[in-house]
Amino acid sequence: MTRKDLFASVAAAALTLFATNTALAQEALVIGTDVDAGTLDPRLARDTTAYRTINLIYAGLVHLTPTLEAVPDLAESWESPDPKTVVFKLREGLVFSDGSPLTAEDVVYTFTTITDPDFNAPQRALYTPIESVEAVDDLTVRFNLSTPYAPLLSYLDMGIVPSDYAEAGGDLALEPVGAGPMVLESWKRGSEIVLKASDSYWAGAPSTKAVDIRIVGDNSARAQAFEAGDLDVIQAPLSPNDIKRLAEDERFGAAIMAGLGVTYLNFNTADPMLNDPAMRQAFAMLVDQETIVNDIYQGVDEVANSVILPSSWAYDPDIKQPTFDLNGAVAKFNELGWSDSDGDGFLDKDGQTLAITLSTHSEDPNRVQSVEFLQAMMQQAGVDASVKISDWPSFSTGYVQQGQHQIALLGWLNIVDPDRMTYAQFTTGGSLNWGGYSNPEVDALLEAARTSLDQGERADAYQKAAAIIAEELPYYVISYQGYQMFFDKDKLGEIEANPRGTFRGLIGMPSAE
Amino acid sequence: MAAYIIRRLLLFVPMALGIVTVTFGLLLLIPGDPAAVLLGQEATPEGIASLRRALGLDDPWYLRLGGYIANLLQGDMGRSIFQNAPVSEIILGRLGATVELAVVALLMSVALGVFLGVVAAIRQGGVIDAAAMLFAQLGISMPVYWLALLLMLAFAVQLGWLPAIGRGEPLVEAFGLALIGNPAPLWESLTHIALPALSLALNSAAVISRLVRTSMLEVLNEDFIRTARAKGIRSRAVVWKHGLRNALLPVLSVIGLRFGALLGGAILTETIFAWPGLGQLTISAISQRDLPLIQGIVLTFAMIYALITLTVDLLYAAVDPRIRLK
Repeated sequence: MTRKDLFASVAAAALTLFATNTALAQEALVIGTDVDAGTLDPRLARDTTAYRTINLIYAGLVHLTPTLEAVPDLAESWESPDPKTVVFKLREGLVFSDGSPLTAEDVVYTFTTITDPDFNAPQRALYTPIESVEAVDDLTVRFNLSTPYAPLLSYLDMGIVPSDYAEAGGDLALEPVGAGPMVLESWKRGSEIVLKASDSYWAGAPSTKAVDIRIVGDNSARAQAFEAGDLDVIQAPLSPNDIKRLAEDERFGAAIMAGLGVTYLNFNTADPMLNDPAMRQAFAMLVDQETIVNDIYQGVDEVANSVILPSSWAYDPDIKQPTFDLNGAVAKFNELGWSDSDGDGFLDKDGQTLAITLSTHSEDPNRVQSVEFLQAMMQQAGVDASVKISDWPSFSTGYVQQGQHQIALLGWLNIVDPDRMTYAQFTTGGSLNWGGYSNPEVDALLEAARTSLDQGERADAYQKAAAIIAEELPYYVISYQGYQMFFDKDKLGEIEANPRGTFRGLIGMPSAE
Repeated sequence: MAAYIIRRLLLFVPMALGIVTVTFGLLLLIPGDPAAVLLGQEATPEGIASLRRALGLDDPWYLRLGGYIANLLQGDMGRSIFQNAPVSEIILGRLGATVELAVVALLMSVALGVFLGVVAAIRQGGVIDAAAMLFAQLGISMPVYWLALLLMLAFAVQLGWLPAIGRGEPLVEAFGLALIGNPAPLWESLTHIALPALSLALNSAAVISRLVRTSMLEVLNEDFIRTARAKGIRSRAVVWKHGLRNALLPVLSVIGLRFGALLGGAILTETIFAWPGLGQLTISAISQRDLPLIQGIVLTFAMIYALITLTVDLLYAAVDPRIRLK
């Protein structure tokens, strides 16, 4: 598919964007969520509740459909005169919820601040290929890129903020002003965020009058509050037990689909015990994916085979990571010189015992259980495996991100483009390459996949890179995470769920004409 | 008496400084970087370094601690890293909910605990005694977390009598509205607080009932009780007026300590029932390594606890005239 075709198909998809949205009109919709939003400034958002609330208060140049296609939102159309330039045409007459006009200047301001290192935007890395953004006229914005950057459109759903309001000292974090379908009515920190329909959205007001986002931190309590009728909608993260029970309950509507996340093992390739790919393969053969996915997670996730999501255009089912084979793993360790020479039940080599530390974080009981299960399997194979569990900040920022781990179990979310789970993770010296993996061939493939604007070429490069990764195993992907949403069927009617967990499909969005 | 109170209040200052320093030290020791947590998993090392500079996290520890204490002495508890708002404002906005929950739970646990303890003591060895003590055993051994989910399942999901989550109007305000003829908010508030307060109260009620029982049994064997009975005072008056008043003294200090336990238990209860108090805030602040907010919360809890201890000491003097405060 050429770049032109890509844009043509985008325009066609745009026509069907809002037509599928048939959720019943509501006075007030009560949605349960797990954490409070940290900020309502889209540029600084970092938690799921913030993203989802911001997605209602603000609008971006594009909107991502449930199949992750970028379709026009504030931008009417866009074109690429050359691979390093994208020009967006804004709709006419756009206004923010405070009545001020939304122009090209606001788009420039939004992206200039995000890419400013001193602004400390959490997602700045996604936008660094943007060299400059300029307003050609009130309705035309030009993005100048330092290199062709294929994933860009997937990230341009970023909410546009009003430059005048922000520069005059307006606090977007607490008193947001956007051009989206809803506006903030009240916010009780840690308790609830109340939004009401906006009449300033370009396509008109949504049919739901108000949305009340309630924070219920405990997953089981949130499920029970939903069953008791205190909440109209709940969604992942939920405990596998609750998912099973709610899915079987006739009273509730359910949207259960593939999510945009993975659960994986991060092998520290810089660790002396793990720097030989053959060793990583032997360890990988001790991962019983079926038991973890079907018993511990009770089938809410899917067994994974590579670093590319099955919902992606780049997916290839023929790429295979090693699968569970206890005897095969032992044979492989023996081949590599590890055997139980002193009869203590653990393999050893040159007087050194085969010892490994598995780690994860304490907040997710399923992850803890998975790690304990892995430990048992490894001990059966003669590996002296120990487990290290700590809370999220200690585990992530104080341990894995410092490259102190050996084998860590954790996850990635929001993989809207394959680039987001490969480039920074696997390229030599990449900012998220905590395990110190390096392979010049993978570097070249991922660079090509990111800069090519031909989807066929990109898919090909990702598949080649994924095949190498499935063999060399800087990551062993255990499962593709599922996404679940449950809702009050009688109250909401038909809804359109989005694997990113956004709420636009629930509020009866206005049709696009 | 006044001099005693003032002296006790002045002692709060060194105590507060000690608490601030210890908390600060602990936070230095546990791994986890607020800047990295704030920026999330996808942050680049340069991004984290830049934010650390902006937050002043790279300054030496004595400068940070000194700066914090200097501000604290001027009544400024700093700004929350994650909520980007003054710590004092955030805490004040939630303190009411936690105190309300803890006070209601305390009243429930005292009423229930004293009643069960006294009944068990006068019927020592009987069925009622056994039943009350079985209840106490259960109440002590059941984790608050589990009990809370069980109560929610029974009363909110199965029976549908009470709401599962959230809080109504603050009780005091709702009570005021009821006085001027609008009882609906009060009912709303009471139904919301019932489950969280009950799940929080049961454990303390159990502890108190066992203590009251033991204390009562001792007192009921004293000479003055026999004298009272011999004078022909009615049995009920002997037990509740002469017995309980003397049995309550050791219980009183435990009730004070229980209030501390209730504040601690509130951390779990609030998270489950989505009660917008300090408990929920504590969990999120710690999991985000939001240092100024953690400092503020620990300090607030410590001050409340110190105030409670002081109140208990004053109550001692009120209940037992033999005690003089100097």
